[in-house]
Amino acid sequence: MTDAKKQQSNKLSEAEAIERAKLGDAEAFEALYNLHKRRVYSLCLRMTANTAAAEDLTQEAFLQLFRKIGTFRGESAFSTWLHRMSVNVVLMQLRKKGLPVVAIEDTMETEEDAPRKELGADDARLAGSVDRMQLQRSIAALPPGYRMIFLLHDVEGYEHNEIAEMVGCSIGNSKSQLHKARMKLREILKTSRAEKAAKP
Amino acid sequence: MTCEEFERVLPELGDGHTTEQEAHLKSCSACSDLVADLNAISQQARLLQGSEEPSPWVWNSIEVALQQEGLIRQPHLARSQPPAPLLGWKLRWLVPAAAMFLVAFGVLMFQRGTGQPPVAEQQTPPVGVETAGLQPMAGDDLQLLKTVGERMPSMRAEYEANLRSVNAYIRDAEESADSDPNDEVAQQYLRNAYEQKAMVYEMALDRSLP
Repeated sequence: MTDAKKQQSNKLSEAEAIERAKLGDAEAFEALYNLHKRRVYSLCLRMTANTAAAEDLTQEAFLQLFRKIGTFRGESAFSTWLHRMSVNVVLMQLRKKGLPVVAIEDTMETEEDAPRKELGADDARLAGSVDRMQLQRSIAALPPGYRMIFLLHDVEGYEHNEIAEMVGCSIGNSKSQLHKARMKLREILKTSRAEKAAKP
Repeated sequence: MTCEEFERVLPELGDGHTTEQEAHLKSCSACSDLVADLNAISQQARLLQGSEEPSPWVWNSIEVALQQEGLIRQPHLARSQPPAPLLGWKLRWLVPAAAMFLVAFGVLMFQRGTGQPPVAEQQTPPVGVETAGLQPMAGDDLQLLKTVGERMPSMRAEYEANLRSVNAYIRDAEESADSDPNDEVAQQYLRNAYEQKAMVYEMALDRSLP
């Protein structure tokens, strides 16, 4: 089967599952869950950096979705609807705990958090050698504000106007935070690589 | 254009650059390297999307909640259907296979702790079919996919994707752990990776047996 036909088949399966889920079909709920569980869980895990919290949030996101599935009319893609809901569930949880979602002003990040200026630094390039495991660890080490924007934009693919609406910041702030997040990651990755190279 | 001027506008740049910015990038290796690094980070980050798998209990909890709230109005048909009259003896291998992975990673952890070479390095390389551009899959994985394909054809593609993803995760985690056996984080990632693989087998077992 070609990729296009596979996609067509999957789209029909999801559409069918949605209609059957509206009627209370258990298999349909499970099919929808299996179609989207990895993306929702990965999002929750990276935002919270905690497996147990991520699983609770994943459960909550899907339950909210399934409770409201009767209202889904198909104006937007189902996956878009679900993932927006997942982001909102995570954001609500972070706000409830009083954890920072995004820095509104640049000055809110501490001096230690901010990436160092290293124009003209004589370091080797990272390009072509960004290790996935190391990147995951580095993302977990980012300050929460930087991490949120980075995850939403670079991992999940949201545009700045969407991020600004979701987290309640300006588009300019979203772009600024993303740039700082990437710079900070670059710094962390280079430091890590230098430390590994220095070990006997 | 100076480097400071360039970095000031960098957050606003998308995929395109102005002529002036392009000229600066061509003449300045530091800024050129910076842009290349940031792009590499961004591209690698996209590969992380949907790369993690929740434990099976998440769905179990959701299902229970849906039943309690009365949102599920029909019994779970898959469990009430009689099993296909085929695979009894063929499916029994899933039980030891799932257990094997759990034992194997336990042995692996023990051997790493005692400084012995990992079990995976002592074994002969797995024999598998190589799909264009993709890593060959081990015999057990292929057997699992064959069984899933026979029993639940609609799920085969998903299980294959899951196995490829978790195998890639194991390879990355093994590489990290091998480069620094004292790195606890890398060891934890490796344990997580093996647990995920065992879960994939357990889920296949759970669905396949009556």
